[in-house]
Amino acid sequence: MIEVNDLRKQFKLTRQQKKELGRASKNGTVEAVAGITFTSKPGRVFSLLGPNGAGKTTALRILATMLKPTSGSVKICGFDVQEDPQEVRRRLGFLTGSTGLYDRLTPNELVKYYADLHGMDKKVFEKRLDEIYTRLDMHGFAKRRIGKLSTGMKQKVSITRTIIHDPEVIVFDEPTAGLDVISARSIIQLIRDFREQGKTVIFSTHIMGEVSLLSDDLAIIHKGKLCYNGSYKDFVDQMKTNSLEDEFIKLVEEA
Amino acid sequence: MNAFLTIFKKELIDTLRDRRTIIAMIIIPLALFPVIFGIWTTIQKSMVKKAKEKTLQVAVISNDSETQKLIEIIIQKEKFKLIENVPEDSVRSFVQNDSLDGVFVFSKTFDKRVENLRAGRIKFYFKSSEGDNIEKDRMKDLVDKFEDSLLSARFEKLDLDKAISTAVKLVEVDITSKKERIGKAIGAILPYIFVIFCFMGSMYPAIDLAAGEKERGTIETLLTAPVSRFVILLGKFGVVVLTGISSALVSLVGLYLVVLQFGEIPPEIIDVISGIFEIKSIILLLSLLLPLTMFFAGVLLSLSMFAKSFKEAQSIITPFNFVIILPVLIGLIPGVTLDPKTALIPILNVSLATKEIVAGTIDFWLLIEVYASLAVLAGLSLFLSSRIFLRETVIFRG
Repeated sequence: MIEVNDLRKQFKLTRQQKKELGRASKNGTVEAVAGITFTSKPGRVFSLLGPNGAGKTTALRILATMLKPTSGSVKICGFDVQEDPQEVRRRLGFLTGSTGLYDRLTPNELVKYYADLHGMDKKVFEKRLDEIYTRLDMHGFAKRRIGKLSTGMKQKVSITRTIIHDPEVIVFDEPTAGLDVISARSIIQLIRDFREQGKTVIFSTHIMGEVSLLSDDLAIIHKGKLCYNGSYKDFVDQMKTNSLEDEFIKLVEEA
Repeated sequence: MNAFLTIFKKELIDTLRDRRTIIAMIIIPLALFPVIFGIWTTIQKSMVKKAKEKTLQVAVISNDSETQKLIEIIIQKEKFKLIENVPEDSVRSFVQNDSLDGVFVFSKTFDKRVENLRAGRIKFYFKSSEGDNIEKDRMKDLVDKFEDSLLSARFEKLDLDKAISTAVKLVEVDITSKKERIGKAIGAILPYIFVIFCFMGSMYPAIDLAAGEKERGTIETLLTAPVSRFVILLGKFGVVVLTGISSALVSLVGLYLVVLQFGEIPPEIIDVISGIFEIKSIILLLSLLLPLTMFFAGVLLSLSMFAKSFKEAQSIITPFNFVIILPVLIGLIPGVTLDPKTALIPILNVSLATKEIVAGTIDFWLLIEVYASLAVLAGLSLFLSSRIFLRETVIFRG
């Protein structure tokens, strides 16, 4: 379960940014997330939809304890991201489309590294690793250097790293960015599987097709604020335009 | 502790698989001294051989009878060729264009002065070289022999013992031990090795583990692991320190190889260098290196963390290569010694203390002061890097 309440995040502007923004910058700061509230529940996929620069990544980085909120609160499985960041991280898997990997390590070494950081028991780790490798068909390249793997193989390594500790909450930040259709489709399938396993899944995207394929719940974010927050079904039912894309553009323009 | 070891181990494996690090940490420090000494010794030997073996073309310009003695010496001496009938006004140009290696021009009053028991004047034209001037010495040796024969004749004529020409025999007693003297000379080179290689060995891993991690996008996933940021930093810090120290130690091995490889090194120098490889000296030097490398590691990680990319980090850090050489150079100035003030100046204190350790003259309390000064700096640099690593504006800069 993810509970976000009146979350705000301000960034100090650099001299160059102040110059560019002029009067638009308030007190030399910019509000990337401006008081958002939502809940993401286990067994459901929560989509955070927004254009580039809307505040999606900032919000998800706060959820993943990488950034500290300026105000408001975020609880992951009952643990506050500011008070118990380590407990939050134990229960969280984080995957982005731009996730980098250590090219000089092998998939085995990389996944073991993250399992060790999560303090996994050796036997539990080996069993889980075998399950994931079998499911993603990774045994064939598990001992090769990551730098020599194809993009699709690397994506599988990223997924394994993200879920090796069997997290209750999985955060996907634009997970299909830069991927080909086949790799993107496998990520979509993976998110569905996590939903079936009862995980809490939140993913951010600006691709409408992914939203319609996956969403149980939807929030539309623009300029740091939520324009919509509710079930995907309700959103579709109350649409005043013919397509999800048109409705999204209409909402963003009105905001 | 487990998390620290996990991070340390992974960063070490990752670092040791990086070609740039291996080149900067092992190959350059190991090969640099043998290669430099090798090239230098080979060139030096061939130059000396050439100067010793060359048949020198010499001319004598004089009308005096005594001159014949010198001409005889030249003719009898091997690897000399007497060139006759050289016009006096062409002497300079012949020597300048290497037609002649040397010319002895006797003054017109030479015979007369010698006869009157005075010194006869000979002008010696030659072209000096930067090195040992072996050719000049060989030609001067001819005149020495010539002078000796004139002196012998003079003493015989006066019926005197030649030994009376020596009135004072100076016996020098230098209370500085050979180890101390040579140690301080060699010790002046060692700080270069330590400081520069500590820095160079730390540089690439620091850039790769901080700026490289940001550039690759791996920092995000690492920060979502249930480990405090300080422990993550400590793991990286440990690897940077280890590579820096290893680099300096490898360079010492390179120096040792020089001793083994290239003979003709005076035994006193070999004694001093061998002394460096004694356990006591190694422990003392390592104890200086450790806080120094920690200081470098903290500074390098902070700078690299601030950079957006590997390339930017390199541009920020490269000028520091020159900054660190300055205190080392100051340490080479004669008269600059380890005292309570210089013991507080970072890098310079290591430079001066290394000299004293190698010479075996280190003062215990000054060494303690050096340690204390370096420990404070190492602590401050670690603190600085931890503050920077906690700042999200730095981690997510760009």
